[in-house]
Amino acid sequence: MAVTYIPVARVGELAAGAMKEVDLGGRQVLLAFVEGKYFAFSRQCPHEEADLKTGTLEGGKVRCTNHNYCFDLRTGECVLPQGGPPLTVLPAEERGAEVCIRLEW
Amino acid sequence: MDYDLLVRRGRVVDGSGLPSFIADVGVKDGKVAEVGKLKGTAARTIDADGLAVAPGFIDHHTHLDAQMLWDPYGTCEPQHGITTVVMGNCGLTLAPVKNGDEDALVKSFVRVEAIPRFALEQGVKWGWHSYGEYLDNLEGKVGINVGGLVGHIAVRHNAMGEEAVERKATGKEVQQMRGLVLEAMEGGALGISTNRNERHMREDGKPVASRLADDEELFALCDVLAERNGGTIETILGRNKIEHFEFYRELAQRTQRPILWQSLQHRWAEPNLWREQLAAVEPIFRDGYQAYGLSHTVPLVRHFELKNCQVFDEFPTWKNLMFLPLEVRKQAFADPETRQKLRADLADPRPTNFHRRWDIVRVEKVVKPENQKYAGKTIAELGAMRNQDPLDAFLDLSLEEDLGTVFWNANNGGDSDAMGEILRSPYVLVGTSDAGAHVQFGADFGYGTILLGLWVRERQVMTLEQAIHKLTFHVASIFGLQDRGLLRPGYAADLAIFNPNTVNSHEPEWANDYPAGSKRLIQRSEGMHYTIVNGTVIHEDGRMSGELPGQVLRGPLYREQKAAA
Repeated sequence: MAVTYIPVARVGELAAGAMKEVDLGGRQVLLAFVEGKYFAFSRQCPHEEADLKTGTLEGGKVRCTNHNYCFDLRTGECVLPQGGPPLTVLPAEERGAEVCIRLEW
Repeated sequence: MDYDLLVRRGRVVDGSGLPSFIADVGVKDGKVAEVGKLKGTAARTIDADGLAVAPGFIDHHTHLDAQMLWDPYGTCEPQHGITTVVMGNCGLTLAPVKNGDEDALVKSFVRVEAIPRFALEQGVKWGWHSYGEYLDNLEGKVGINVGGLVGHIAVRHNAMGEEAVERKATGKEVQQMRGLVLEAMEGGALGISTNRNERHMREDGKPVASRLADDEELFALCDVLAERNGGTIETILGRNKIEHFEFYRELAQRTQRPILWQSLQHRWAEPNLWREQLAAVEPIFRDGYQAYGLSHTVPLVRHFELKNCQVFDEFPTWKNLMFLPLEVRKQAFADPETRQKLRADLADPRPTNFHRRWDIVRVEKVVKPENQKYAGKTIAELGAMRNQDPLDAFLDLSLEEDLGTVFWNANNGGDSDAMGEILRSPYVLVGTSDAGAHVQFGADFGYGTILLGLWVRERQVMTLEQAIHKLTFHVASIFGLQDRGLLRPGYAADLAIFNPNTVNSHEPEWANDYPAGSKRLIQRSEGMHYTIVNGTVIHEDGRMSGELPGQVLRGPLYREQKAAA
């Protein structure tokens, strides 16, 4: 198994409730800092591809402003409407002074 | 002159579903005058040899209520042979409205139908109150024919104000709403639409007003149509469930009016749902009631490269590779051990949106000339041509081309057998273009040209005659559009003249033609040579004439009132 950690921010760089745009291998990702934890997820809403940068963070969820689709940032599950298409999420963690995305394959 | 327009030697596909035939079509005073071997003189003659001549298509599911106010053609409807549109679907209309309540309606359009607020603010010049006055405002100003359903959301706001998005209506308010529905119907509405979709909210996050209505209220409003024996009832209940069919039955049986429900589509994620839906609706029709399901012709297509691709995000190893730097990703794709993991990911039996079928994914565009022979082939075919397992062939071809190969995939609407059964069903109304909505997210003006190009010509799931019937008379009958939908003497001369060998739709493209030069997606067509509205050519090979021969098509209660007067 191969694992890589891709640094995407410095610890403390994001204020609570802030989001940062990140390019990962050509894919657009958002890094959010919510309730003391980092979450990384695809910038594109899986419903109609709206930009989640304009979405709102509600605790551990992000709500798309286009049609109000709401996704659990831990699992990517679509919680409103239930059973909707899942959001692509990636594991983010602090490693020393950096926030990294962990990718394994 | 005997005719204003003479269409010579076309193959007439008259909308009835009967076999087509070679004939001339003579047009006089906006009507079809004669069909057959004609000898008269004409102000203009169109040589239609080799072309099909059909009634103009009727797009019954649009949200053009606002766009028609600044764009008299509902662009790009005529480019696809559409001569008539029905507005006011899903409970959303711009009338009836009281002074000061306009923004409450805008809030719903902005969120539910994703129409940019600034386009609505700049493009809609309010000034009407009743639904009839809204239609009056379009008289003489449209290039295609327009009709509309009155929206439950506007009706509820009119009766209840802002409390429409907060509570159940009182008996008095329901009576008031019944009066508004009757007024709208007498003003020309073709029926009523409602919206119970659990994810449809206003811009401010509040539910759209019709979601607060209970069955008692909704039935009371629909009873107006039953009592006056006219109009169509369009519904959207949200996520498709078989339990909804009890509601459709009750509404159809109680009102004896045509009910429309959304929607029925083949999805690989729920591959049998469409069959269950057809089985559930069949007994309603068998018992003598009408509950038509709306379906779509446009497969949900994704074009992708392995450079930047979301298709496989449901599979953990695939997903992680897609976020790696390109060079690392290429090494991983080439690594036999990683390939085994990718293979295992796809073999996991849990339900996913991606169908995992290599006979559906295609090579769309190759980078290297020597690979041109693979263009258009499915991955299964690619594997056979290269004597490889399909997954290996897929990855190897992409690696040979530095991940630049473009692939094609359809998660919805990709199964020809299922689509054939759905589109041919007499209980299915074809077309959910949503024209005028979601304008920066998609454009499906071409649902009709895709039906003719993809499903008739390429996949042969139905005949040309069946398809034209579905796009014309089937719709006109359900919506009670008089003198429309058939190419017969006495009917309106709404015509679509196209080449059956080339007709199709282009991919959507960006344009800056919305108010204030704002951008949206449009869609051009191929092989649709002439679109004629009430005898006037408005579209010819991609060019618009600038003329405005469209009419406001008003419903049965309006016609009844007018006849009585």
